[in-house]
Amino acid sequence: MRNKLDMKSLKEEFLEILSNYQGILHKVNIIYFRNASDREDNFQEIIYQLWKSFPGLQNKNSIGSWIYAVSINTSISKIKKESRIEYREKLPESIDKIDIIEELSLNEASQILLKAIYNLNEIDKPIMLLYLEEKSYEEIAEIIGISKSNVGVRINRAKELLKQNLNHLNHGN
Amino acid sequence: METNELQNIWKNIDSEISLKTTAELNQLLTIKTRKTINKFLFIFSIDVIVCVGLIVFLILTALNRQSDIIYLINNSILCLITLTSLIISLLSINKLQNNKYNLSLKDWLEQRIKLLSRWLLGKYSKFYIVLIPLLLVMINLSIHVYFEYGPFLEVMKNGESIYGLAIGFLIGLFVSYFAISKIRKYQIRNLEFLKGLYNHLDNMH
Repeated sequence: MRNKLDMKSLKEEFLEILSNYQGILHKVNIIYFRNASDREDNFQEIIYQLWKSFPGLQNKNSIGSWIYAVSINTSISKIKKESRIEYREKLPESIDKIDIIEELSLNEASQILLKAIYNLNEIDKPIMLLYLEEKSYEEIAEIIGISKSNVGVRINRAKELLKQNLNHLNHGN
Repeated sequence: METNELQNIWKNIDSEISLKTTAELNQLLTIKTRKTINKFLFIFSIDVIVCVGLIVFLILTALNRQSDIIYLINNSILCLITLTSLIISLLSINKLQNNKYNLSLKDWLEQRIKLLSRWLLGKYSKFYIVLIPLLLVMINLSIHVYFEYGPFLEVMKNGESIYGLAIGFLIGLFVSYFAISKIRKYQIRNLEFLKGLYNHLDNMH
């Protein structure tokens, strides 16, 4: 049983880490949720799940991977619960009819890229995010749970789908 | 677009994100923790109140009917089933609270699929089909016989009693099956969704 003092310092340490790495939470949130209130709910849920698993965090050298993993898993769990987005293997016929991204004031190229990412399936989304974040194959393999050799294959496939989406969106504009 | 170009556009999105202060993060964590504890306490309290309430009723009514052996047997079995259900439900709530998210995506999906499959498709997953009617009959009998102020066998000989019990049983059965089938359908949809993701991840090998 932790005493109050330990708990306080643990919470302070957690909040400091969270403050430094919160960008990850926002980015995972952005690729999974189009609506601001869904993003806010999910953000809170991720913080809570991170806090719950923080005392058991063994390797403090891979904090980034831990935050990515918890954020991705929590977001997928939330999608499933809300049943707002369905798993899809094929691209929808009309991929340009997507809600306008709230809150963020993005330029056209950024909006198109985000829309193209939205239309990836729920597995390719985090792979593409990690790739765009320039994470190493080793880190991607650790977060997604696949072998390093498979990471390359997955990235190429996700890139191909992303390009198709981008072409479709650019063509439509 | 080339890869570098995409990564540069992504950096632009990154730079537009407004970050929260440590105080705001602390506040969000406190609110969420409180909400989760309250939700847990609410489910826990309802579970305990219903089960313990039923057990107390069964014990008190049994004490008042010590000479009616059939009534005592009915209440004893019902008491045992309720107690077992209470223990299983508390263990399940505890298990749900310990859902681990700090795993790789593939391991997390595997863990969730295993857990949901055991609940929805496992050996005892259809046990409720037998248990619900049995419980309904026994609860109806316990309440009805007690408030008829007569011995178990005598009350059962009364045609009106049988008619009332049958209607009560059918309504209870319909409501219970309807609620359970709704929950199961929702959970099965979740399971299929998770399996779809897992297969997609696994097909790359």
